[in-house]
Amino acid sequence: MFVCLCTGTTSHVVSEVVANGAKTSKQIAEACGAGGDCGRCRRTLRAMIEAHYAGRAVESVGR
Amino acid sequence: MGEYDLHSFILACDFRVDDVDRMWKWLNKHRETLAVIGAHHVVLYTSIWEPGRVLVTIGIRQAGSVREVLRSPAIFELFDISGADDIPPIFGGEVVEKIDLDGPTPEGHVGRVVVGVMASVDDVPSLMDKVHDGLERFKGGGVRKIWVYQALDDGREVLILQEIDDEVSARQWIDHPDAAAEWMSGAGFGAYPTQFVGRFAHLMSIGEAV
Repeated sequence: MFVCLCTGTTSHVVSEVVANGAKTSKQIAEACGAGGDCGRCRRTLRAMIEAHYAGRAVESVGR
Repeated sequence: MGEYDLHSFILACDFRVDDVDRMWKWLNKHRETLAVIGAHHVVLYTSIWEPGRVLVTIGIRQAGSVREVLRSPAIFELFDISGADDIPPIFGGEVVEKIDLDGPTPEGHVGRVVVGVMASVDDVPSLMDKVHDGLERFKGGGVRKIWVYQALDDGREVLILQEIDDEVSARQWIDHPDAAAEWMSGAGFGAYPTQFVGRFAHLMSIGEAV
């Protein structure tokens, strides 16, 4: 999925940035540019951050 | 990362619109703008259960870059006119296969339900093998068409459009999908929208005389 139309950044790239520790849309913008221009994709970026950490929480509960 | 130079691809986007008719009128008025980005068809599906939710697919005939198309004013204006402050993620991909379980040009497609899913799968060729092995079961579950698209930016990402007999069959399919339909469990996570359940609403052909 292309999440940031301004920069052409994909969900794959954003997922990697989040997996490497980004916890805010600002940190994602600093790492890969997504969300740093018009900012209209930030809701999606926040959803991806939440999904990542929700997934990790489920993993740790399952251990 | 490559720029995905192609002859044809599809953009698909699931989002909410203040006024569907107004957006469709705007799209019709801006055929020339859409033609400039290489659009040849626009299809609009409207949600059955969520008023204002739409799935739009745009077929693009272009030997250029997906990113150039996505950056074009026409795409941003589409979301402006929809009333959306937020721009949702957009699927960009190409056809893997269009499977028609009813044979060509069925008469009874009016009223059928379209279930659209964007998701990540383990492996697209394996998925297609499983789909072909399960076609009779799919047909028994009311599925009449399965259109599979693979994302250009992620080889494991797919858009699947399933045309289903009616709303009752669609609900059963959603609640109890066939095991081969692994995409049904991947929707609604992260950047992916939840399953879209709707009906065909509009089709526009663009630039055929251009």
